[in-house]
Amino acid sequence: MSEIMHPLRMKYTREHVKKTTNCPGCGNGIIVQAILRAIDELGMDMDEFAFVSGIGCSAWIPSPLFNADTLHTTHGRPIAFATGVKLGKPELNVVVASGDGDLAAIGGNHLIHAARRNIGITVILVNNGIYAMTGGQTAPTTPRGVNTTTNPYGTLESVFDISSLVLAAGAPFVARWTTYHPRQITSSLKKAFTSRGFSFIEIISQCPVQYGKVTKSGSALDLLKHYKKDSIKIDKARTMDPESLKGKIVVGEFVNEQKPELSAEWTELKARVMEGRS
Amino acid sequence: MPTVTVLEQSCKGVEDCGICTFVCPASLFSASEKMNTAGYVPPQILNQEKCTGCRNCMIYCPDFSIVVQKNADGSNSVEEKEEDE
Repeated sequence: MSEIMHPLRMKYTREHVKKTTNCPGCGNGIIVQAILRAIDELGMDMDEFAFVSGIGCSAWIPSPLFNADTLHTTHGRPIAFATGVKLGKPELNVVVASGDGDLAAIGGNHLIHAARRNIGITVILVNNGIYAMTGGQTAPTTPRGVNTTTNPYGTLESVFDISSLVLAAGAPFVARWTTYHPRQITSSLKKAFTSRGFSFIEIISQCPVQYGKVTKSGSALDLLKHYKKDSIKIDKARTMDPESLKGKIVVGEFVNEQKPELSAEWTELKARVMEGRS
Repeated sequence: MPTVTVLEQSCKGVEDCGICTFVCPASLFSASEKMNTAGYVPPQILNQEKCTGCRNCMIYCPDFSIVVQKNADGSNSVEEKEEDE
């Protein structure tokens, strides 16, 4: 039995990393496989990628597991690091994988400006709706009214719709899925890895240990059942009124278009200026 | 018939995780009576001949702990089904 190994694990992860760092039932593991499956199905090599992550549970998705170049950066700044990597090495596929606390709370400004600039990186935002690593505090993505460690009588703030924010900031590719949709995540990631512009994929993910416990939403299975029951495809959601969409998760690819990409524009500008000099 | 293997050492347990028991369309997974060295109870597969080969368990398992191998001739017994909504 011990000779059998998971094919993705064998091919794309570091041998010395024996175990995944996630809690039992965490959605991060599903996303790990979805990313690796997208790379496998595209027939790409790990050397074509640079994975950047920040601080938080979801920052452990690429680092140290993936057998590729991984940057584990300071809190909230993975997109800033990734922008540097992309401008320095435009031929690389730069992928940021981090959580909502990292990318939408402390690093929110980097996120909207990367979307506005259309720098050609892929951002995978894992949204578990809470600050999980630090013990279940209210995050900007925590739904209104649920109890958390810092709001034991219920949160008073409205929830942050990150995909709509990034869409409004001008990102050419925006998709949202839940961990109940791993095949769809893989399909969107394949589009993101092969497109040139800024690609944003938000993945609603279950956190049974913090979110499930402090908000009393139940186990990993309860959260997955909720994703299965309450997910509504974007095409269908467009025909529904806002009242009936309350408590639902709108999933799907929100936009997929072509726009001029920043690192390509920089290379072009550099060539133009240097030509004028000589 | 596809072969399903549970890599018990890396499994994080049916009690705390148990995603395989939820996503299997034929409900083949249940808690076993074993315990791995980390103290988790891995699943057991009963009636494996009923496996449809959809690979849901392999795709959803967060810890790379389930491997579904195709038939001896390299084909899946059933075409992979797209999970929707």
